[in-house]
Amino acid sequence: MLLVLSEEHKEHLGFLSEVDAPVVGEFGRIAVEFLKKGSNPKIFEGAARKLNVSSESVQHGVEGLMYLLTESSKLMISEVDFQDSVLVLGFSEELNELLLQLYLENRKEIRQILSKLAPSLPHYHNLEWRLDVQLASRALRQQVKPTVTLKLHLEDGAKRRAHVLQTDPATLQHLIHELERALAELKSNHCRRILRNIK
Amino acid sequence: MRFRFCGDLDCPDWVLAEMSTLARMSSVKMKLLCVQVIKDLLDEDIDYDKVSKLTSDAKFESGDIKASIAVLSFILSSAAKHDVDSESLSSELQQLGLPKEHTTGLCKSYEDKHGALQEKLREISLRLGRLEAVNWRVDYTLSSSELKQVNEPTVQLRLQAQDPETDSTQTTTVSITADKFRVLLTELKQAQTMMNALQ
Repeated sequence: MLLVLSEEHKEHLGFLSEVDAPVVGEFGRIAVEFLKKGSNPKIFEGAARKLNVSSESVQHGVEGLMYLLTESSKLMISEVDFQDSVLVLGFSEELNELLLQLYLENRKEIRQILSKLAPSLPHYHNLEWRLDVQLASRALRQQVKPTVTLKLHLEDGAKRRAHVLQTDPATLQHLIHELERALAELKSNHCRRILRNIK
Repeated sequence: MRFRFCGDLDCPDWVLAEMSTLARMSSVKMKLLCVQVIKDLLDEDIDYDKVSKLTSDAKFESGDIKASIAVLSFILSSAAKHDVDSESLSSELQQLGLPKEHTTGLCKSYEDKHGALQEKLREISLRLGRLEAVNWRVDYTLSSSELKQVNEPTVQLRLQAQDPETDSTQTTTVSITADKFRVLLTELKQAQTMMNALQ
């Protein structure tokens, strides 16, 4: 699957052919750092001064590289497709090789970062539990009533919430039974067939 | 194979796997590492510099250091949780393949801090809405806009409790008339008698 680059993108990346190979390597490293930790505009100023060009062209170059890397990693394009897509920019052999190496080395990590951007439901963080026996209340003495108190901690992005639940042991048994059935469903023939067909 | 220190269940696979990692350290160093892990379990600060010095002889990488701390944490807290005596712990660990000198060192540390560990685990057990402070004041109302001569004592009670879901402190203030307060006091005294009978 080929990557189709917009005119503006090609223009931004065109700047890279005007500088030396080590500089492109440095830009590549900066682009990956920005993808991992967020961008830092001050670096553009420093680089622009050293290369004697406007900081805007440096910024476009680095951002163009970042976009190229994220799009390629997102679509998980093969080496050949990447090389063909980059060919259209008209770079030198050396530059194409450099970009390919940059892509292959960082692909896995970029995909990991991208996977965290998908919307998600609150998920399990921690479960605390306690087994109590109610012996008496204001209304009734001499009781024996076991209860299980649960505190379910959920995490949703940065927020943490705790839910307090209470149940009697019979309901808890039923809950465990239902959850075990859900797990066992994974081993059924139907699920196995589907999992086998997903590469 | 059922192990008492795992609560009469099978030993987790990762614990079994890490036994060989622990055996790579000398038994003296492992005993010192146990001391550090116990400090961490008791919520005193763990000294990571000491830990890395202890593990540097055995040439542990950061993954190995984390694994050995995790497995020692699990063994010690699980043994304290299920109230295992140090001889059973010693024989069970040797069954898992931990060398004798290491086991002796670990069980000695466990025995020393057995009581303190159980106290700490009791403290962090689930408790909802802990009562943090009680303040009271007795007032005597002389008169009000409704009635010229009121002449009634009241109690102002301020309770500071922990909110079960957010763990933040909530303050509740109530004012109670003499009769209602007498009822409250009697009921609470009955509850206290019942609690003392269970001690």
